[in-house]
Amino acid sequence: MKVGLEVHQQLATSKLFCACPSELTETTNATFARRLRPASGEERTVDAAAAFQASRGLLYRYESGPANCLVEADEEPPRPLNDQALDVALTMALLLGARVVDEIETMRKIVVDGSNTTGFQRTALVAVGGHVEVGGRRHEILSIALEEDAARKVGSSAGEVAYRLDRLGIPLIEIATGPSIASGAEAREVAQEIGALLRATRRVRRGIGTIREDLNVSTEGGRRIEVKGVQELRLLGEYADREEARQKLLLRLRDELVRRGARVEPAPIDVTGELADLSQGPLAAAVRGRGVVLALRLLGFAGLLGPQPGTDERLGRELADQARAAGLGGLVHSDEPPDPSFSEERRKRLRVYLQLTAADAFALIADHSRERAGRAAAAVAARAAAALEGVPGETRDPLPDGRTRFSRPLPGRDRLYPETDVPPVPVPDERLERLRARLPERPSATRSRLEREQGVPAELAGQLVYGNELDRFEELVGRGHPPLAVARLLTQELPGTVVPSGAPPFEPTVETLDELLGALARGQFSKEGTPKVLGQLAAGAPSVGEAVVRSGLAAADSGELARVVDRIVQEQIGLVRERREAAFSPLMGDVMRELRGRRDGREVADELRRAIAKALADGPH
Amino acid sequence: MPAPPEGDPWDTLRSLPFGQHLEITDERGVRWSGTVIPPHDLSSPRTLTLKLETGYNVGLRVGPSAAFRLLEGPRTAGLPAAAPPGARAAPHGGVEILTTGGTIASRVDYETGGVRPVSDEADILAFYPDLASSGEVRITPVLDVLSENITPADWIALAGKVVEAFGRGAEGVVIAHGTDTMGFTAAGLSFLLTDLPGPVVLVGAQRSPDRPSSDGPSNLYAAVRVARDRRIGEVVVVMHEGPSDDRFAIHRGTWVRKMHSSRRDAFESRNGPPLGTIDAKDVHLLPTVRAPSAGPPRVDGPLDGRGALLAFYPGLPASRARAFAEGMRGIVLAGTGLGHVAAEHFSWIREASARGVVVAMTTQCLEGIVDPYVYATGRDLLRAGVVYLDDLLPETAYAKLLWSLGHASTPDGVRELLLRDRAGEFHRRRPMEATP
Repeated sequence: MKVGLEVHQQLATSKLFCACPSELTETTNATFARRLRPASGEERTVDAAAAFQASRGLLYRYESGPANCLVEADEEPPRPLNDQALDVALTMALLLGARVVDEIETMRKIVVDGSNTTGFQRTALVAVGGHVEVGGRRHEILSIALEEDAARKVGSSAGEVAYRLDRLGIPLIEIATGPSIASGAEAREVAQEIGALLRATRRVRRGIGTIREDLNVSTEGGRRIEVKGVQELRLLGEYADREEARQKLLLRLRDELVRRGARVEPAPIDVTGELADLSQGPLAAAVRGRGVVLALRLLGFAGLLGPQPGTDERLGRELADQARAAGLGGLVHSDEPPDPSFSEERRKRLRVYLQLTAADAFALIADHSRERAGRAAAAVAARAAAALEGVPGETRDPLPDGRTRFSRPLPGRDRLYPETDVPPVPVPDERLERLRARLPERPSATRSRLEREQGVPAELAGQLVYGNELDRFEELVGRGHPPLAVARLLTQELPGTVVPSGAPPFEPTVETLDELLGALARGQFSKEGTPKVLGQLAAGAPSVGEAVVRSGLAAADSGELARVVDRIVQEQIGLVRERREAAFSPLMGDVMRELRGRRDGREVADELRRAIAKALADGPH
Repeated sequence: MPAPPEGDPWDTLRSLPFGQHLEITDERGVRWSGTVIPPHDLSSPRTLTLKLETGYNVGLRVGPSAAFRLLEGPRTAGLPAAAPPGARAAPHGGVEILTTGGTIASRVDYETGGVRPVSDEADILAFYPDLASSGEVRITPVLDVLSENITPADWIALAGKVVEAFGRGAEGVVIAHGTDTMGFTAAGLSFLLTDLPGPVVLVGAQRSPDRPSSDGPSNLYAAVRVARDRRIGEVVVVMHEGPSDDRFAIHRGTWVRKMHSSRRDAFESRNGPPLGTIDAKDVHLLPTVRAPSAGPPRVDGPLDGRGALLAFYPGLPASRARAFAEGMRGIVLAGTGLGHVAAEHFSWIREASARGVVVAMTTQCLEGIVDPYVYATGRDLLRAGVVYLDDLLPETAYAKLLWSLGHASTPDGVRELLLRDRAGEFHRRRPMEATP
């Protein structure tokens, strides 16, 4: 398996071609509807991927809000390329040792799925080459580009897709590696390293969806597959591994289909009348709704559409994905287990009608629109025929369970043509020198600095550097809090906070964390009580003080501590006398349970040792 | 390996044909291969624009030690498109589309980096593939210019083509026009064309048709539908009503003005609602729409070019304005508010009027009437001989002035024509709800 990675990171500057803030919002103050159609590039060919999307004839509804201006609505020409965003991209190029182009030309990448109001994404190649080293292996960087993010899809219905424009135009740095990654685990490590480098620039957005990865996966004998927009780094390896498995299955099926001399009849047969007696299920619904049911004859395909040993991928799903992409709910095929709405007996009769032998399979495409069913049938037939060739090159969407699903054919280079509204940007050597003189610290250097100078344990330092919290760590340490306490709070206690169901996501500000660490330092609660205080904040406590009160954690004073310890020692005086100093461990647990984090563990231990010693000294020998 | 450089490599590279494949090794030893692409207008000196295999264009500074070698390969860039099937002629009925250039008939020019008009019928049909299937249409190129270059002489030529089109049996005529001066042309044609048997529809685009989001196609298809409407016998402008692609406004040619430099809904009727709207289903019209005439249509020329439009501004020296009026037979002033200029201008206006120059007043507010009776300045200007043109837009007043000068030999005759409604250009009343 060969895997290449594309990392897309949003930048925390204003937008790439206007002065709008790079912020997401739920506010809408204007809506409008548009249609898109493919336009020809400078070589006057219409790109396959673009034509595919346009064939759907969709209406796009847009919601514009406070993070938008006329530029995102495609009502005003783009402003020149954002200089600050370009500085971040150039900084990345220098960190990766890439060759920056001398003059940056902004291009239009045709995307007519409506996610860009213009029908294209503006993108500019900033640098080529360079490398990143992970686990002693060197991975080449193919390209570093600066591009605008797309609008957010917020809904869809028959013939329409709705997008919110807030995300449109947010600058993205796209870093593409060569196909040098050999496993899913390695893909994840490379993504982590690039992510840490990006964050080292301190100019990136953070939070869910601000960094996304595309995977380019190809196997021996397969074709390049692009898995687009993986947001969960932990699933990155799984997508790669499952894609490899899928391609292997498709190649195995190809060999079997070729051996059988299988073929696909491209012309669908209208079986609406033949199935008129069905009373339930999706086929019956189409028949009743004066729609149409089309059958495809898949000769020699029997048994190959359904589940195969050793994998949960299947060819039938690939065909159904095509029907879905054409706007249908899916399809019915002959390898599916019979169900009451379409019995074994009924299927046999259909087989006879379609003149199929036991070696053949069929696929049924049903819809109330004859035209849409026809389009879907053509796509399904083409996909079935492609099974005889092996793995079709395509773009696939990641699903939350680690699987992927067909999204569209692979776009070609025809998609790019010049964005003439944006002037080219020369990059003089002086600009690179200026940036080189203030390159940020590399993640590995930051990590050893945290260990060496601030006493943060190696594991926590790694989590800070490769996670999302380095900025807040430095901010809080800068405010005088002990590095270890801050590191523990940000990497362990905060992520482990139990948020009550129904409560909004817990995203405390730096100010809140500052207050919390301050209260901890002043002894208002003990470090064992931190999770509870965080839990109360997540549950809606308006301040840290209030959260401490609500969690019943107001720290026990020394008198109370002594009283509790003495009482428990007296209650267990038998145990103390029997096991002497070794009674400490069981008693410590009892005391801590009773104090429930209201006093620091070390102080409790000291007090308990004192009390045990005193009891032994006082008691009968 | 690339050949060692002989002389300055830039001398060769700058003159390579576009589409040439080559491999170049820059001064840092990085090797690039791609296709030579025309540079952007604003590209830096000694910069070679290459289209890489990935489709990206990059600019590379060519230093004296750069090495390159030419590669074999098809020259793809700049190849002409295969001509699509031509439109069928519309001998009887159908809509005739006159093209003048402008964004609606422009494409990106990869040699200059800007947009450039096309006049080729095949090119236009390539942009608007659904035109041929929407009914009988015929495309007649008339001009090939961006609209800032259009002159009143072009209005007369266009009016002549409109009359010819109706003469060939067209049921309506569409004029694809650049948007910058489309309001002027619409007004000019409104005064020039008389006895129209069907609609004359000006239409433009605010986004060039080589963009997937261009408003050109939807505007043009809407315009063709309006041109087929048998209730209309006047000059109108059809453009987006709002930012959406599903509703269009129909503006009377004398009421309309481009009110925004870039929005799709830049065109607005001033002083009242538009004449109509068009959506996916219907063409909705106000009852005030002018019905078709039995014809035959004709061009009621000429225009006299000795008319001018002058916007007053604070600090405009009276001597400048006086010089501007030299050799003119008439001047439209875009005055302030209800129709005012500074007192120092009274003297040249009095003198010009005495010489027989017609001075007419409009408002640079672009909405509302001019009225000489409210302020002393207005009364002074009225006494100086200024004719107040009610709620005419300055551009409409300018077009009407050229037409009036062409149709009356005396100043009083010109004044009379200016004040007489000819094409429905005056709103008799301005309803409250029309003010945005």
